[in-house]
Amino acid sequence: MHILLIEDDINAASYVIKGLKESGHVVDHASDGEEGIQLALTLKFDVIVVDRMLPKLDGLSLINKIRTENIDTPILILSALGEVDEKVLGLKAGADDYLAKPFSFSELLARIEVLNRRTNPEVKETFLKVGSLSMNLLTRQVHRQGIEVDLQPREFRLLEFLMKRSNQVVTRTMLLEGVWEYHFDPQTNVIDVHISRLRSKIDKPFDCKQMLFTERGAGYALRSDD
Amino acid sequence: MINLFRLTSFRIIFIYIILLALSIGLVAFYLYWSTSKDFQTKVDNEIIQESVRLSQVHKRYKEVGLIRQIQYLSQTPSPNLYILRDSNNKFIAGNFSDTDSLWNLTRLEEGVVLFSFEKKDNNGETIRKYYFRGKEFIVRNKYNLIVARDVSYENYLKERFFNTILSTSLLIILLGLLGGYVLSRNFLNRISAINKTSLEIMDGDLSMRLPTSSNNDELNQLSLNLNNMLDRLNKLMIGMKDVSDNIAHDLRTPLNKIRTNLEVTLMSNPDSESYRQTINDVIDDVDSLINTFNSLLAISRVDSGSISLKKEKINIKNLIEDIVDLWEPLAEEKGVILNNECDIDIYLEGNKNLLSQAISNLIDNAIKYGESKNIVNVGSRDNKDSILIWVSDTGPGIHDKDKEKVLDRFTRLDTSRNTSGTGLGLSLVSSMIKFHQGTIELLDAKPKGLIVKLQIPSC
Repeated sequence: MHILLIEDDINAASYVIKGLKESGHVVDHASDGEEGIQLALTLKFDVIVVDRMLPKLDGLSLINKIRTENIDTPILILSALGEVDEKVLGLKAGADDYLAKPFSFSELLARIEVLNRRTNPEVKETFLKVGSLSMNLLTRQVHRQGIEVDLQPREFRLLEFLMKRSNQVVTRTMLLEGVWEYHFDPQTNVIDVHISRLRSKIDKPFDCKQMLFTERGAGYALRSDD
Repeated sequence: MINLFRLTSFRIIFIYIILLALSIGLVAFYLYWSTSKDFQTKVDNEIIQESVRLSQVHKRYKEVGLIRQIQYLSQTPSPNLYILRDSNNKFIAGNFSDTDSLWNLTRLEEGVVLFSFEKKDNNGETIRKYYFRGKEFIVRNKYNLIVARDVSYENYLKERFFNTILSTSLLIILLGLLGGYVLSRNFLNRISAINKTSLEIMDGDLSMRLPTSSNNDELNQLSLNLNNMLDRLNKLMIGMKDVSDNIAHDLRTPLNKIRTNLEVTLMSNPDSESYRQTINDVIDDVDSLINTFNSLLAISRVDSGSISLKKEKINIKNLIEDIVDLWEPLAEEKGVILNNECDIDIYLEGNKNLLSQAISNLIDNAIKYGESKNIVNVGSRDNKDSILIWVSDTGPGIHDKDKEKVLDRFTRLDTSRNTSGTGLGLSLVSSMIKFHQGTIELLDAKPKGLIVKLQIPSC
């Protein structure tokens, strides 16, 4: 994946660059807004990561400029201003996701990878399939290996979120934001219990490969059993 | 030396005394003026009557008759003084022959004359000074007649009167200034006591208090108000100090742990697996440090009422349902029964994220600190002017003496030392409820347990 990182803190940027390269990505780095917009307009990237506060051109105006040039590369905005309404501002400006500092690298990586394979929100999918697991969003039925799995509404939404991001790491915060719409971290393993409940319904009864994994220190992943 | 004029009080007293003295002087002068006018008119009238009589004599008996009449009057006891002189100022008749004394004769308008006469003893010493007021008439261009009256007594009275006024005014001014000095000295002493204490407080002794007295004047009120302000400031200072001490302690402990962990790992010639283990431990420790920082930031952001925290209409029933839904699996795993007692729509103007987090923190505590078989109830009720939200448990509860304390930052009761947490959960709840102008109350549940009641005013 070709990633553009626009971040003025060289120290912080170098760790992120190292981590992203370590994860097999190609990274271009710009240390101010003007350099960033130049790169974004000349090269093709898979994901752009922008800091909210930048010298010369701030993050929000930079995103605005990119969007007015009809470049629809997914953009992740980073900021120390972690307030919910700040997130709304960032998303309104045209960013696709928002991550507050300090963040864990696995969180950033997970979000970048999800953004890269983001499904077009305009297209309403009605049927999801990951390996032997299938979900019908109209009848709200879930089957594994042809056997119907009975899920509570919240478990259904959790599984839907995971299936739409299958084979990717999904973090706790992503689940809290995406499934519960909470912008705070309860700092207890509440999500773990939800995941293990879901696992007991989609994995345990079936005598085959595990699908729902816990990635230590990172989050969870629903992987295909094919 | 005290500069009295620098004092507002003394300046006011001084100006007041000057005004008082001026008005007393004005009234007294008017009395003096009108009284002396009365004396003069009385004297003048009597002289005019006398001169009318004399002019009638002159008309009828000519000069000879007039001279004779004057000679006659001069020999009878009379309060009047007659001096008849010819055109060469030569004394002709009258009861005052010492015409040399007339050198100091002052002529006023309408023929009024004033003069004085000093009676001397044989040695030429003045025994008494007489004052006269009279009228001068010119008779047929040949004679000069003065009819006058002794006004020494009146003049004496006038003089006495004037002196009395003067000395009284001076006395008033003097006494007033003295009183003003004493009063402002008292005032000044109190002010300088306040100043002195203020300086000591500025030097860092926040326990000092301004002197107060029993009389409830403005100055005392000022001191009392300043003392109350100092009390509050001191409490805040102590609070701040406690918080920063706690921050230092709470952050130093995990940092120390991280350092030791890293050091020991390096010492023990580790393989890559134990490196991995150590790094994972360190990540966990750093995460909990970040959590603490985030909670602190959240508290101060909520406390300062950050403008980015918007309020909207929230259905409390839905909000509680969602949170219970989030916590229910964990509660079940821990053998805790989590009940939602809210079954009607209750609306509230508030910040959804803050209220969710507040209730979430309370449920977290109720589950964390309760024992197994614990029952946690969450509910809400519309009390018309306020919305009540409660989270109750059947756990060990909190001692009355600790109830205030647990809302403070970093308070971790001894009973909870071994459980995880930042010690900021309840103070974050408290800040969030304050942001909604609400109150938080910790009550004992029956037969045991804790009820946390949140009261938020309805819009």
